[in-house]
Amino acid sequence: MDSNRQDGENAALDALFRAYREACPAPDASANFMPAIWQRIEERQRSQFFLGRWARALVTAAAVLSLGMAAYLYIPHPRNANVNVESYVETSAASHTLDAPDFADPSLDEL
Amino acid sequence: MLVDFAIIQRAQGGDSAAFNDLVLAYRKRTLGTIARLISRPEDVEDVAQEVFLRLYFSLDQLRTAEVFEPWLYRLTVNAAYDYLRKQRRRRESRMSDLSEQQVVLADALAGGRVDHDVRQRQQVRETVDELLGAVSEADRLLLTLKEVEGLSLKELEKIYRVKENALKVRLFRARQRVLKALAASGGQPGGSAPAKAGR
Repeated sequence: MDSNRQDGENAALDALFRAYREACPAPDASANFMPAIWQRIEERQRSQFFLGRWARALVTAAAVLSLGMAAYLYIPHPRNANVNVESYVETSAASHTLDAPDFADPSLDEL
Repeated sequence: MLVDFAIIQRAQGGDSAAFNDLVLAYRKRTLGTIARLISRPEDVEDVAQEVFLRLYFSLDQLRTAEVFEPWLYRLTVNAAYDYLRKQRRRRESRMSDLSEQQVVLADALAGGRVDHDVRQRQQVRETVDELLGAVSEADRLLLTLKEVEGLSLKELEKIYRVKENALKVRLFRARQRVLKALAASGGQPGGSAPAKAGR
């Protein structure tokens, strides 16, 4: 009894889908169909082109900046040259000459 | 196949004339499929153009010309799905939910200027739209391709890249929901089916 009812509903649904197919025939394309597609393609290509150019410019700028920074770090700077070249002993010898001994002067403690 | 493989290969190589031939060959079929998938006549052409636009920019990803038709169906289904999702978001306003054709028809119906045949077709469209509202957009498309477009499970398998058994289960469940909605509407075209019969 129940399966008969279900069969009936299935048949009704199938008939409805068939009727739907007939009720929705393929519409004809307008005369503007093809030109509109090409217009959309060109618009997309144009936007992709500008996006690509922008991205390339950004990449170039980033590369130039990176090279610039690398060069800046690589080239030795005169101000820092002494620090890098001189050893601790040389620096110590330069700042503590023999007439200025490194030990504490007891007479200064009382001051 | 509606075109030679050579035309597809030429279109893949960037030949505009070959792409034109492709569009001309598949235009009618694609418009028909979209008309049945989205059921808003004034938007059919726009969605079809979107399909061919996507085709143009994805042709180079097509590995062999033999799978062109399932590929095109896949693009059609995706474009229709995107459209239906956008439509669902716009559905707040009831009046804007009516298509231009529906508004004109409703007006004409009120004035008694429409013949019986046209009225019946409109009624069938509205009934099926309501019934298909009982399932998700994805299942609506699958059900339409199978039951209305008449595609086989093998063809659907190629389009969806899903195993046949999984498709069968999805189709069965979607059909059960639609049947439930049909029973609730009294089983008659034109009966008011519930908007959603649970997903």
